Amino acid sequence: MARDLAIDLGTANTLVYMKGRGIVLNEPSVIALNRQTGEVLATGREAWQMIGRTPGYIVAVRPLRGGAITDFEITERMIRLLLQRVGVSRFTRPKVVICVPSAITEVERRAVTDAARRAGAADANLIEQPMAAAIGADLPIDEPVGNMVIDIGGGTSETAVISLGGIVALEAVRVGSFDIDAAIQNYVRREHGIAIGERTAEEIKVAIGSADPTHGENQAEVRGRDLMTGLPKTVLLTPEEVRFAIEDVISSIVASVIRCLSKAPPELSQDFLVRGMYLVGGGGLLRGLAERIERETQVPVRMSNVPLEAVVLGAGHVIEHYEALKGMFMGARR
Amino acid sequence: MVVAVILGIALRGRSEEDGVDSFRRQIDALSSEARKPTVERVKSAERNADDADSSTS
Ligand SMILES: Nc1ncnc2c1ncn2[C@@H]1O[C@H](COP(=O)(O)OP(=O)(O)O)[C@@H](O)[C@H]1O
Ligand SMILES: [Mg+2]
Repeated sequence: MARDLAIDLGTANTLVYMKGRGIVLNEPSVIALNRQTGEVLATGREAWQMIGRTPGYIVAVRPLRGGAITDFEITERMIRLLLQRVGVSRFTRPKVVICVPSAITEVERRAVTDAARRAGAADANLIEQPMAAAIGADLPIDEPVGNMVIDIGGGTSETAVISLGGIVALEAVRVGSFDIDAAIQNYVRREHGIAIGERTAEEIKVAIGSADPTHGENQAEVRGRDLMTGLPKTVLLTPEEVRFAIEDVISSIVASVIRCLSKAPPELSQDFLVRGMYLVGGGGLLRGLAERIERETQVPVRMSNVPLEAVVLGAGHVIEHYEALKGMFMGARR
Repeated sequence: MVVAVILGIALRGRSEEDGVDSFRRQIDALSSEARKPTVERVKSAERNADDADSSTS
């Protein structure tokens, strides 16, 4: 029997919601391939563990990394494998709603829906991530009030103002939490002369990274390869250093939130002062980020209680009420 | 001719009402009340996952 699906195709993580069931899959958006034959060797968590640890003939990639589809063929294969794993075949033919980064182009959108149809979906439609996030975070978007969502993912940050079930203003940038990892990697290489992998950089970010000074900060021991000697080496990294290293990324994320605020009509703008803005996405969990955005915008920032699931929950809600909500698909609105 | 005009008016009237109806349905489906079951489903899934975690440890 066909069970309709909602998919959050994130730059870092992919989640799948099955109608009537809930979340049935949650794993990194990574695929590992044999470089020579092009064969898929692993997906999800298994492929994620290979990042930076593969022999030459294996390559582990995040096809949506920068909020854009760099390789259509690999993306299509990832979508097909994903649907197969949750039981989709040419015989079940479910309806599928997919959330994609808002910044992707018309051509990329078509590639995603075509891939889902070819994998067996009877119908495939897209919905903007911040819209889905607002539904999933339980904001009162059915009312004529200004609701603001900030979704900070791996490769993208998207801010939207939503009222009466529609997007009033949207600002999407291809800057996210992956760029924080890269900034940490660059800093450690430049200032301490050691090379670290992206997964180590991510661990440092989660362990001691912050966007604003916070209480009880610790140093971290960082292990990498000494660029001069080529030998393994450990150095100490302070939270101040990490803050300095990631400052450019943080300020461009904050700047995009401010641009979105400035696009909102004044009537809705005043609502934010009372209602606040809602922060979702893994990148939003960075220590001090909510405080930093609040300080620079003078608008209260609230953390969603389902930061990592809000998008797939919102899309799941749309699949539960498909007939009533099909007007919300990308392209359905004028 | 006349038939076509009348038909045209009838269709237009109906499509305008359709607009009101579908907008209302959309807004109703987005209410906090309507969203409760979806959100609950995830909370219960999380509880199950927690249970599974604790049973394995
Ligand atoms: N506690 C945390 N502190 C800082 N960053 C975090 C934390 N938890 C997750 N992240 C980052 O969030 C990103 C993933 O967020 P997610 O919302 O799943 O992205 P996407 O929607 O683009 O797939 C990753 O870059 C991860 O390092
Ligand atoms: Mg996301």
